Amino acid sequence: MNGFLVRYRAVLLAYGAVVLLLLVTAAFSPGFLSAANIRATLVLAAFVGIVALGQTFVIIGAGIDLSIPWVLNTAAILMTMLCASENLPLLWVMPLMLALGGGIGLFNGVGVAYFGVPAIIMTLATNVMLQGLILVFTGGSPTPLAPDAIRFLAVGQLGPVPVIVVIWAVLGVAATVLLSKMSFGRHLYALGGNETVAEFSGVPTRRTKILTYVGSGMTAAFAGMLMTGYSGQAYLGMGDPYLFTSVAAAAIGGASILGGTGHYVGTVAGALVLTILTGLLPALNLSSGALQVVYGAVILITVALSSDGVSASWAALFGRRKTQGAK
Amino acid sequence: MDLIEVSGLTKRYGGIVALEQASFSARAGEVHALIGENGAGKSTFIQILAGAVAHDGGDVLFDGAHYNPANPDDAETTGVTAVFQELSLIPDLTVEENIWFRREPRRWWGAADRRELRRKTLDLFEKYEFPPIQADRDVRRLTLAEQQIVEIAKGLAKSTRVLILDEATSALPAKETEWLLKLTRKLAEEGLLVIFISHRMGEVRSIADRMTIFRNGSTVATHVTDEVSDDEIVAQMIGRQMDRLYPERRDTTTGRIALKVSNLECGSRLRGVGFELREGEVLGVGGLQGHGHRELFQSLFGASRSTGEVELWGRTTRFNTPSQALSGREGIALVPEDRGGQGLLNSMSVRENLTLSVQRRMTWCGLVDSKREAALVREMVDLLSIKVDTPEQEAGTLSGGNQQKVVFGKMLLTEARVLLLYDPTRGVDVGTKSEIFQLMRDLAAQGYAILFHSSDMPELVHVCDRVMVLRAGHVAALLDRSAISEEAILRAAVLEKDT
Amino acid sequence: MSTSLRNYLLDKAPFLTACAMLVAILATYASLQRGVFSIDELNLVTGSAMTLILVATGQTIVILRGGIDLSVGGMVSLGTVIAATQFGTDPVNIVLWSSAILLLGFLIGAANGVMINYLQLQPFLVTLATWSVLSGVAMIILPTDGGSVPDWWIGFGYSEFLGLAGPVWMMIALIGFWFWFKSTRLGTTIRATGSSEKSAFLSGVSIMRVDIAAYGLSGFFAAAGALYLTTQTGGGSPIIGKDYILPSVAAAVIGGVSLFGGRGGLMGTVVGAFILILIGSLVFALRISSHWQPVLSGLILLVAVLTSSLTEKTAKGQAQ
Repeated sequence: MNGFLVRYRAVLLAYGAVVLLLLVTAAFSPGFLSAANIRATLVLAAFVGIVALGQTFVIIGAGIDLSIPWVLNTAAILMTMLCASENLPLLWVMPLMLALGGGIGLFNGVGVAYFGVPAIIMTLATNVMLQGLILVFTGGSPTPLAPDAIRFLAVGQLGPVPVIVVIWAVLGVAATVLLSKMSFGRHLYALGGNETVAEFSGVPTRRTKILTYVGSGMTAAFAGMLMTGYSGQAYLGMGDPYLFTSVAAAAIGGASILGGTGHYVGTVAGALVLTILTGLLPALNLSSGALQVVYGAVILITVALSSDGVSASWAALFGRRKTQGAK
Repeated sequence: MDLIEVSGLTKRYGGIVALEQASFSARAGEVHALIGENGAGKSTFIQILAGAVAHDGGDVLFDGAHYNPANPDDAETTGVTAVFQELSLIPDLTVEENIWFRREPRRWWGAADRRELRRKTLDLFEKYEFPPIQADRDVRRLTLAEQQIVEIAKGLAKSTRVLILDEATSALPAKETEWLLKLTRKLAEEGLLVIFISHRMGEVRSIADRMTIFRNGSTVATHVTDEVSDDEIVAQMIGRQMDRLYPERRDTTTGRIALKVSNLECGSRLRGVGFELREGEVLGVGGLQGHGHRELFQSLFGASRSTGEVELWGRTTRFNTPSQALSGREGIALVPEDRGGQGLLNSMSVRENLTLSVQRRMTWCGLVDSKREAALVREMVDLLSIKVDTPEQEAGTLSGGNQQKVVFGKMLLTEARVLLLYDPTRGVDVGTKSEIFQLMRDLAAQGYAILFHSSDMPELVHVCDRVMVLRAGHVAALLDRSAISEEAILRAAVLEKDT
Repeated sequence: MSTSLRNYLLDKAPFLTACAMLVAILATYASLQRGVFSIDELNLVTGSAMTLILVATGQTIVILRGGIDLSVGGMVSLGTVIAATQFGTDPVNIVLWSSAILLLGFLIGAANGVMINYLQLQPFLVTLATWSVLSGVAMIILPTDGGSVPDWWIGFGYSEFLGLAGPVWMMIALIGFWFWFKSTRLGTTIRATGSSEKSAFLSGVSIMRVDIAAYGLSGFFAAAGALYLTTQTGGGSPIIGKDYILPSVAAAVIGGVSLFGGRGGLMGTVVGAFILILIGSLVFALRISSHWQPVLSGLILLVAVLTSSLTEKTAKGQAQ
């Protein structure tokens, strides 16, 4: 039991924060815990969660994906254009967009893994280039509305649960299984922990890295399409807020930017924390500026609490004798 | 009066005793050597003297006064400067910037006085007759040997009364080693105390006035160099365990050739090497540091790019990544030189470390089978007697010897029958060393083919069936069982080949 | 080619590549438009580039330390917002508030440094969080673009002395500052710590002090960038800082500053900043959609990094 507490302290802290926030929000705004509101919150959290899924994998591998905003946006816009003007059925377009997201991820991954371009720069450059290309392509004018098929998917419900949340749950389970029960996960944690050791242990480091970026591109594209379905339209800049939130969600959930640690379960908590915080806006009568301040403070606090400096005291509290080995 | 007097010095790291009641004394104006095996306590001892590590018990007197520096800076102010094996240079600064780091001559407006800096550097080089080194070169562009020399210059630039040199010659080629040995004598003549750690008896005999022998964390004896024989020294270094340290050697070679290498070149240090490694044999690779050993091992494992022909069990193969080398049944495994940086993931559990390379043996369509994993882990823990409370323990909490066993276990699980062992006993306690040697012979008897490099010559002499000596990136000699001796290895490593 | 020339070229390759790209862009630009190589053009372009140059100066110092500062965006926004709401018209008041803003920038930066060092947290995350906090505060103070600064303050961008505009003199002063700073003990120590934190520590460097200085300077220069920006926009904006974060990193990287720390200098960053600004002018002159600007910027960034990567591999190969 003690071992469990120590190992998963970041995740536990994150869920503790979720509960705390729920209580605070409910106290200030009694209507918050209504079924409709919880549904809406979960849907919004699902968007963050899906995008952050890909980002979590990349971060565990000691990388980062700054191209998420415009991969998301590109898939959203292209989907609406292909479905509307070309009248192509969603059945074809969706896999195509996923492949596009994956392809961009492949581009990122190859640059990082084979050419040694630092991840920050590679994905930043991709993001910026995509932005320019899409703006050139659309000329900045509004795009067609989302096709009915995806709108149905996005706002539909399975019993009391929105379809999107079900999709998120399925993806979440898959991600957790992938990370904790499959060899890909082992390889990824090793890669992020120490790339040289991973290399010398026979881990296919370059392939693993590239796969994380491909995955991130795909989740971003997928989220973009779902979001478009939900709001009915794709608009320019819709992906921008998700850069910050995807990294923050992962960090709050315990992933270190340096790689080698983190669980998707934690990222889920992170996504919930951030989304509930946003819901706090009208509840506490906070201006959007105050919300930003709270965002930043929450990230700092959760990251500080789960950092190594604090972990020693935590371990002491829940008692695990650590024996130091001489070199 | 003695310049440095040490009594009862003790240092523990958790449960491991690195130093126990060590005593030592040395005078100004002498060259005093520290001798002992790896792990005997010499490094810990000088780290304490240099202020890098605090001691747990005992007393150190410097010039009669209590000496307990809070950090290396403190030690240097008192007059004790150490040049460690692990370099502490700033790669992106130039040679002169490194030598005078934080003490550069400055103009009144704060900027560095470059002309004065250059002058001081050249004066230093001239005073001690340094080998030629460009003062304005970025340190990261220098070879390892040149960096070592800069590190020495850095030490000399501080006004010091005690200079500690930790295996300073290990990275230096012959001519620079000559220079350094002469330098230590000159410094002693000037009144410094030079404490000199080296594994090479020849060097020690040529420059040291006295030597102190360490064994198992304690000081055994201090001798005047001219008054003690090599046999006595070796006996005191090893104690009575000599016969029990090394296992019995039987000829376990079969006729099969496991690995056949021709014209292997890698980087600038491995210039063309060819040999055969037989099934059931332990082939040693000896020679001085920097002559191609690392490149040989890494290129065979696929960790470095190389050219040449390699035949594994009769089939021509080329591994471009370690992942290729470890996949499949007929592979090559490497136990690397740097446990912490190349061998183990310190924050992951022993179990995860052990099974990292053999996911294919415990997964079904990528999904991990915990039972099979546990079985594999148990197999290795038992086989190698890895001391852990539970396999879930973090690898970083294990002792050096046990950590090395985990690395071994990881590679053994891959079922590769060609094993490359690069200095596997470095920093490992004597007990585990003995177990590792026994393991090597047992594996050979089971049909493994082992390529074994050690920086410790007695190990090569006592464990191997044959020894190949590398010099300047070529095979200088291939010694059969009957011809192996420390002298033969050293001779081949150092002398030009007779035509 | 003599070895020392070859070594020099390899060492300076990223910076030289940036210069080559700048020349190429200028040449193309000049072929499309008259008067590119004139003083007027210099004044104009420097005026547009100055905010980025100032912010990128602080970012360069942090990157040399081996870190990154994403909070500069928040600082720039906050700086403009405080200026636009507090300046009024009294010159004394303006000077006082300007100084206060600069000091605030330094203190916030120093706080970043303390958190990163003492709590052992990642610079990326800490400065991301700080950026959010600063942005939020800016939004609270001034929810939408607004506020005002006096006309004479705005005139700085157009002021001239000996034919060169104010911003050009500012840049000259900045470059002069850099050549002095990089040679001081602090400047050398910051670079050394970025090059090898371990070696710096073993040599007795107080890493805490280095972090406080590096991030403090970054905050300071971001604040300076904010002040300059108000001379261009005439008001304050709570969101404008966002546009300077990644370009400040890009300018440094294009100019040859290594993200791993220890290598590079301000000259490269200035070249990088000019490249980024001029791409905009070039796109305009080529009469293609302005949206091509980010595409070109991204490509140039990749080329710069690849050059850096390649020359590193070559240099490493021969040092063995």
